[in-house]
Amino acid sequence: MTSSSSDKRVSRFTRQSARIVGCSTFAFLMAATAAHAQTDFYNTDAGRPLTIEDASATERYAFELQLAPLRLERGRGGVYSWGVEPELAYGILPRTQLEIGAPLAYVDASGSSKRFGLAGLDVSLLHNLNVETAIPALAIAGDVLLPVGRFAPDAPVFSAKGIATRTLRWARFHINGQYSFGDADDETASSNVTELGHGAELSRWLAGISVDRTFPLKSTLIGAEVFARKPLNTGGKTAWNAAVGIRKQLSPTFNIDAGVGKQLSGDDRSWFATFGLAHAFAVRSLLPGG
Amino acid sequence: MKRFILSLLCLVGTVPVSAEAQWSTTHEQFYLPGSFNWQFRKNYPGADRLFNAFDYGHAILYERLWNNPNAAVSELEQKEFNFITSRLLVNPPDLPLEESAIEIAYVKIAPEAKMMFEWAHLLHRQIYDVLADERLSPAQKDAKVYELIRYYKTRNDLAFSSVPKSMDLMEGQPYSTAFRKRYPKFNGLIWAYHWLQIGLYEPLLAGKSKEERQTGVAATVTRFRQMIEQAPTWMPRVMPMTPAVAPLFTARYPEAAIIFDNLHSMHDVISDILANPSVSRDQKRSEILKAGQRYRDNTSFVVKADEWREMATMMGVENMGGPVRGFLPAFPKPTVERGATMQSAMAGMNNMAGMQHGTAPAAAPQPSMPGMDHSTMPVATGSTGTMNHSSMPGMTGGSSSDMAALHARMMADTVIRARVDSDPVLRDLLHKAMAASSTTAAHSHAAPTVKRTTAAKKPAVKTSAKTSTARKTTSSKTPAPKKTTATATAKPKPKPKVDPMAGMDHSKMNMTPKK
Repeated sequence: MTSSSSDKRVSRFTRQSARIVGCSTFAFLMAATAAHAQTDFYNTDAGRPLTIEDASATERYAFELQLAPLRLERGRGGVYSWGVEPELAYGILPRTQLEIGAPLAYVDASGSSKRFGLAGLDVSLLHNLNVETAIPALAIAGDVLLPVGRFAPDAPVFSAKGIATRTLRWARFHINGQYSFGDADDETASSNVTELGHGAELSRWLAGISVDRTFPLKSTLIGAEVFARKPLNTGGKTAWNAAVGIRKQLSPTFNIDAGVGKQLSGDDRSWFATFGLAHAFAVRSLLPGG
Repeated sequence: MKRFILSLLCLVGTVPVSAEAQWSTTHEQFYLPGSFNWQFRKNYPGADRLFNAFDYGHAILYERLWNNPNAAVSELEQKEFNFITSRLLVNPPDLPLEESAIEIAYVKIAPEAKMMFEWAHLLHRQIYDVLADERLSPAQKDAKVYELIRYYKTRNDLAFSSVPKSMDLMEGQPYSTAFRKRYPKFNGLIWAYHWLQIGLYEPLLAGKSKEERQTGVAATVTRFRQMIEQAPTWMPRVMPMTPAVAPLFTARYPEAAIIFDNLHSMHDVISDILANPSVSRDQKRSEILKAGQRYRDNTSFVVKADEWREMATMMGVENMGGPVRGFLPAFPKPTVERGATMQSAMAGMNNMAGMQHGTAPAAAPQPSMPGMDHSTMPVATGSTGTMNHSSMPGMTGGSSSDMAALHARMMADTVIRARVDSDPVLRDLLHKAMAASSTTAAHSHAAPTVKRTTAAKKPAVKTSAKTSTARKTTSSKTPAPKKTTATATAKPKPKPKVDPMAGMDHSKMNMTPKK
């Protein structure tokens, strides 16, 4: 992904790291099973499983708890690294979602001391401008990554994003373009910590296209994407990435996604895999008609 | 913002310049959360999965009609129909379907209409959940259903009106009935869907225990499967209406019943708009939106609730696929042609002497039905004293004694009698009809004295206090009695000499109170 310039090195896959990630996953699962709601495999989100998302927002009054992306990366030399960003999205207004994410990273500093911590607090707002007709569905999004946690950037990083979705009979296409303002210190911005924690958020810019095809009777969607990104740190090379993914409704209340991809150019041509699980719910007192 | 974006898109040529009319901002909303969520899926998985398959049927229908308006009829009537009935309904999807992924092109022309359907289907399913929740008492179920209806109505932009609409909205528009005429089998399938969707409430309400409800639901689902065998023979011939198919549900939750009838009615309207070539492709969106507006508002094409129930009764449950509960192994014999409109079904009755609505404005038998324009009902040539049999297919057999029985029974109703008395034209026509229908002494005597004697000869079958006409019924699942007590009093009648209504079995006209 990015150059490993610092002495921070992401650990090899160990039983301990698996336990940590597993425990956090389990904790969120338990929190989610108490809810009654429906998630939607057709409404893709960044990182679930692809970086390029569609222009739909979480439906009004819905909370969607996301355990994604759980990301496993295999870099040069067979080094495995982990990251997870649990998120909670809420349909706060018609066609508008407010989302809060807490990216977590597991790192091995100086090759021996393993650390696990928060890599910032991510707050974003996505507004879908229109439903697709002859006009593609369009959305705009704003995002700020706050300097919270030991692996967070030193200063807030603001991003703006535009999204378009066009549906044809045989596939849907999504185009995303994103730009980030402000600076992060080179060390943080270029480290794998930020990659794991924030995926695309800490790029200076990102642009890409994805295509997905739905199998409605199976409640399943498969997709592929290609995107380019310029790291936030100065001097970073533009990297091309490609990925494929699948998203499937497991039950009316759960869906899962999984994806694999590869960085095709740049400093670290790593492989990565993602897995996500989502569950949605609503709070009766927030709904009208009571 | 909107104008800026549209201008930008037009500038780069990605959308047509006239696209402003297609800027849609409708949005989805989460369903009402509660412990009852997904109870129907849990307790009745077979029926729940069938409903998932129904989603496909509606969606693929619109998609095909929009994408291939000139496709061979067999594309829907055979290819798609066979897929649905022999594969999809046999092994239905486990989850509710994402209709946007099926009706890909259609949803882009009218996402607002698609959202209206989704919102109403959500209400449908949530009411199933409530009624299927064994932990709730009947009173709690009532409270939950009313809460669901309240929640449903918070979306003014999506919610169907809970005021009933006249059949004219569905059947009296320039594009009306195009779909049912061109695709009778697929249309029958859609109506069979609607029969089950409203009918399944009945066993859930009637069952006094979980076992009874389970048995009832299983029986109703089995009946649905029978209905789609030998298609379209046993499929509904007219749109199933909730008061006729689901009388218990209608009595308990009338608002929901009205909403669902409006929903199913608009399903037909969309089919007609898409199937009718007289509506050009660039007009279809605006026509769909116009129809949606009419089904949402509380002012256009409205009828009273009583009139809506009467409409359902008059059309007859036997024409809507039959009753949901207590049915016999054989399907009831329909009395109207497949795809008959309310107007055409009424035409036969209209042609009955003395019931020529258009010529008797002062004593119109259904003056409280503004949505039914009786004056527009076709009248067969020379129909003054004869029945147009062709307009009431299926109504075969019968005799003048039946006519006499019908007459006697109608006259037993104080309201009808008062109306006839107050209208000399109607009274005269009735007398003529009765005179022509029978030459027997008893009969000819009964006719001129009917208004004076019926009070004393009131039949044992009692009409409801609020029944305004003899057609009205409060329970459509009970088959019409073949012989009434009035029939007995009208006898003897050794042999009919001149029967101007030969071939008509009045006992199947569904015009007598059934309860």
